[in-house]
Amino acid sequence: MSALEIRNVRKNYGSVETLKGIDIALQSGEFLVLLGSSGCGKSTLLNIIAGLAEATSGDVLIGGRSILGVHPKNRDIAMVFQSYALYPNLTVRRNIGFGLEMRGVAADEREKAVAEAARLLQIEALLDRKPSQLSGGQRQRVAIGRALVRKPQVFLFDEPLSNLDAKLRLEMRTELKRLHQMLQTTVVYVTHDQIEAMTLASRIAVMRDGRIEQLGTPEEIYNEPTTLYVAGFVGAPSMNMLQATVQGSMLAIDGAKASLPLPTRFRDAVLDGARVVVGIRPEALRVAAEATAPSLPVEIEVVELTGPELVTTARIGTQRLTACLPPASRVAKGQAASFAFSEDALRLFDPDTGKAF
Amino acid sequence: MSSTWMTTRAWLLMLPLLVVMVAVIGWPLVDTVGLSFTDAKLVGTGGSYVGFDNYTNMLSSSNFSRTLVTTTLFAVVSVAAEMVIGVLAALLLNQQFHGRAILRALMILPWALPTVVNATLWRLIYNPEYGALNAALTQLNLIDAYRSWLGEPATALTALIVADCWKNFPLVALIALAALQAVPRDITAASLVDGAGPFNRFRFVILPYLAGPLMVALVLRTIEAFKVFDIIWVMTRGGPANSTRTLSILVYQEAFSFQRAGSGASLALIVTLLVTVLAVAYAALVRKTAGSAA
Repeated sequence: MSALEIRNVRKNYGSVETLKGIDIALQSGEFLVLLGSSGCGKSTLLNIIAGLAEATSGDVLIGGRSILGVHPKNRDIAMVFQSYALYPNLTVRRNIGFGLEMRGVAADEREKAVAEAARLLQIEALLDRKPSQLSGGQRQRVAIGRALVRKPQVFLFDEPLSNLDAKLRLEMRTELKRLHQMLQTTVVYVTHDQIEAMTLASRIAVMRDGRIEQLGTPEEIYNEPTTLYVAGFVGAPSMNMLQATVQGSMLAIDGAKASLPLPTRFRDAVLDGARVVVGIRPEALRVAAEATAPSLPVEIEVVELTGPELVTTARIGTQRLTACLPPASRVAKGQAASFAFSEDALRLFDPDTGKAF
Repeated sequence: MSSTWMTTRAWLLMLPLLVVMVAVIGWPLVDTVGLSFTDAKLVGTGGSYVGFDNYTNMLSSSNFSRTLVTTTLFAVVSVAAEMVIGVLAALLLNQQFHGRAILRALMILPWALPTVVNATLWRLIYNPEYGALNAALTQLNLIDAYRSWLGEPATALTALIVADCWKNFPLVALIALAALQAVPRDITAASLVDGAGPFNRFRFVILPYLAGPLMVALVLRTIEAFKVFDIIWVMTRGGPANSTRTLSILVYQEAFSFQRAGSGASLALIVTLLVTVLAVAYAALVRKTAGSAA
């Protein structure tokens, strides 16, 4: 039995359909990340699971029990919000214990649960402070503590790290991962940050326009994107997309005097003369000492050292591509070079349907 | 630009306003203080110096203590009722329903009406011969015969408080409604997930956001209620048997009806002092509330 099951959930606001039939089944202990840009429907789906919005049709089951129409407090869920949503006039101690207090849990039992959550989150020293006396990171820890003490079947996180600065976000991300590994709880986590999704998730659902574009493990999403959208959305810098035409057993790069051998695994999938999009991750490119196949002849345009890597933008005919090279790579603006890559790193997409071959 | 010039310029710019304020508030106040130490009548000579006699006589008179009790009763009950009704109205008008915008606009009407119009309307409603209240209560078999609500000492003050509430609760409701818009949606959602019922949601989630603005409403309304004159003057003129006489009515009667300008001035200054004490106490409370909400 799934810990959480979403069956063909649809949501309309008037004539606007924001969710167009979502199906997901989550096993106990899974960490599902709903990843997508603003307005894709990910927060709406989370609110439907929480009971803060009603689905127009479909069903949501937690532990095999349909929870549509059930009050949020009776759904056996806990939620962490982007804005922390702490009660400003209550101390940290009462904020964390609020859910238990509202459920009539005895004071000593509540105190024990609060102390345990505070210990896990290393906020024991803050228990008597008010939220206004806490930093952003501390507030988010309190918000997580408030969810933890309830010990629900499913945890819901709505972009919990978005309000934190970059350094704190990284720390809290690791903290969340540590907590999940320790507690093995079922989590649904909404974010638009693909690094958060890749690092935290056991599975990612990439959403677009109210639909799931692709559902899979982080490795599948990154290495085997099924659509151009997923390929472009996941990864920073984005996957290189080169327009090309199939010419026999070769791929001719449009607007450039360059071609690549068509990998054998695609030979039955594409027709001679077909226009395709060639996808190569920037991390898959390296500077070739000599023109070995497969490789692309390029002219270096911009070189940016980020510290761990050299992000290099290069021109190939009328198209551009980006490579993430080792920092010691010898590349300079205006230099002619050759970018080599493994044939396995190459993806092909249909430019009309956006689907992968 | 030097700070000395900036300060001088600020004072120069404020000078016209200061002159007008001194002329219309400062001078009459000083004159009233002077008058309060004399036995001057409203017309005729300036009267002779009597020291603190006016003050001691006024403070020791039973008229004053009875009127102070009536004023306090009026202020406390009407302001308390306005706060409760205003907040309840704001909570209702904050719900999503058809016609909400029209209802919100209609609610402002009683407050927007001039007090004299409001008082006249309520005199009609309370009329002992053809008033709507008597008609409604007899038709509902709640009373046997028409009563003079404003003519009986037992009911006149209550009737006035009802009329005052009707006029002023929209102000509290408006302030509360504006404050309700500031309650973050996420906190309300979090309280739902945490299992807080309507009462606890109000207590722990909504009230902290309402406290500051409501405190301002409380200060304004208490000071106004303590100074109340117009609605009472139009409806009962302080009667029957002085049962609705408030301090402002007493000041008016003393100075203009009995033409004792000196005694009236001392009473006016006592009322001013009481209101100032209230204002200072409330200002401190507002600062404290604002400080704890930050």
